[in-house]
Amino acid sequence: MSAETKLVSRTEASIYHAHIDALMTLQPEISGVLISTVDGFEIAAKLTPGLSAAKLSAMTSSLLALAEAMCKETASGACRDMVIDAEKSRILLMELPHHKQKLVLAVLCTNKVTLGQVLWAVRTCREQLSRRLDML
Amino acid sequence: MSPREYKLIFTGSMGAGKTTAIAAVSEIEPCSTDVANNDSGGHAKATTTAALDYGEITLTGGDKLRLYGTPGQSRFDFMWKILGQGSLGVIILIDNSRPDPLRDLRDYAQAFGDALAESRAVVGIGRWQTHPSPSIEEFHEAVRDLGYAAPVLSVDVRERRDVLMLLDVLFHQIEAAEQHAVPAIADMETP
Ligand SMILES: Nc1nc2c(ncn2[C@@H]2O[C@H](COP(=O)(O)OP(=O)(O)OP(=O)(O)O)[C@@H](O)[C@H]2O)c(=O)[nH]1
Ligand SMILES: [Mg+2]
Repeated sequence: MSAETKLVSRTEASIYHAHIDALMTLQPEISGVLISTVDGFEIAAKLTPGLSAAKLSAMTSSLLALAEAMCKETASGACRDMVIDAEKSRILLMELPHHKQKLVLAVLCTNKVTLGQVLWAVRTCREQLSRRLDML
Repeated sequence: MSPREYKLIFTGSMGAGKTTAIAAVSEIEPCSTDVANNDSGGHAKATTTAALDYGEITLTGGDKLRLYGTPGQSRFDFMWKILGQGSLGVIILIDNSRPDPLRDLRDYAQAFGDALAESRAVVGIGRWQTHPSPSIEEFHEAVRDLGYAAPVLSVDVRERRDVLMLLDVLFHQIEAAEQHAVPAIADMETP
């Protein structure tokens, strides 16, 4: 299945890409952004060459589904973000809710960034994006 | 002897019933990672497993079965590898109403080739009552053609008895192949 053709309109796709570009310009330490469906189909992506958006979409889906299961198991309420702190980078995973369907967002950045700063930027971008999509 | 734990994997195509099978037999509330399904072409159900299913069965002797279900679609094949590690046996579930169930068998048999090569696998054919073709014999042949040996039986994954039967046949298969000390059906049928 080709997710981009079936799951989002051309208008939506251009909105996603505009927001991804804006976020990456605002936070140069962000090296890649990926938006996909909760079940792991790519919707929009801007990644460094060599990374597979299809594979990372599936992995984002699995990780967030697992995080949500853990939140449920521990009665922690809804899962907000997931942060993977690695040797060379930080990866943020979070949901991207809007009225039509729940999407997920993966953000790759260097570990030089302050986590708070990048989280704030990503959350702001997510809210703007949700608002913009809800206007459609 | 202290209780042992056995890790078992349920795999197979999207909608074959991995999540349903584990829910049918688990004594704990199963851990499920189902999310909204956008691939109605793959299967027209509301949700699909994105990471794993997990359930448990404790046998009378105290031994524990840890049941893991994989996602079905090949885009999640990294989870197949992660979940397959250290497993004692594999249950391949087939949905016989799909376009090419023999191909599904080959795909998952290949993905879990280690278990099949060591005869630590069983194949359960679902929806066989309404879709009797390919026949059980054809599945036997397909398994043989791959160079493996694995029992093939029809199952309704919604039925606890059927899923327990699959596990029992799997254990007999493992025992016969490896002279492994494994639990018996008598243990499993005790509630
Ligand atoms: N009518 C009918 N339904 C069946 C039969 N066997 C299984 N099902 C249904 O098929 C569906 C299987 O769904 P799941 O258990 O989510 O399948 P799964 O293998 O976990 O699928 P994925 O996680 O998406 O790969 C359930 O709704 C079952 O009730 C059958 O013999 N007859
Ligand atoms: Mg499932």
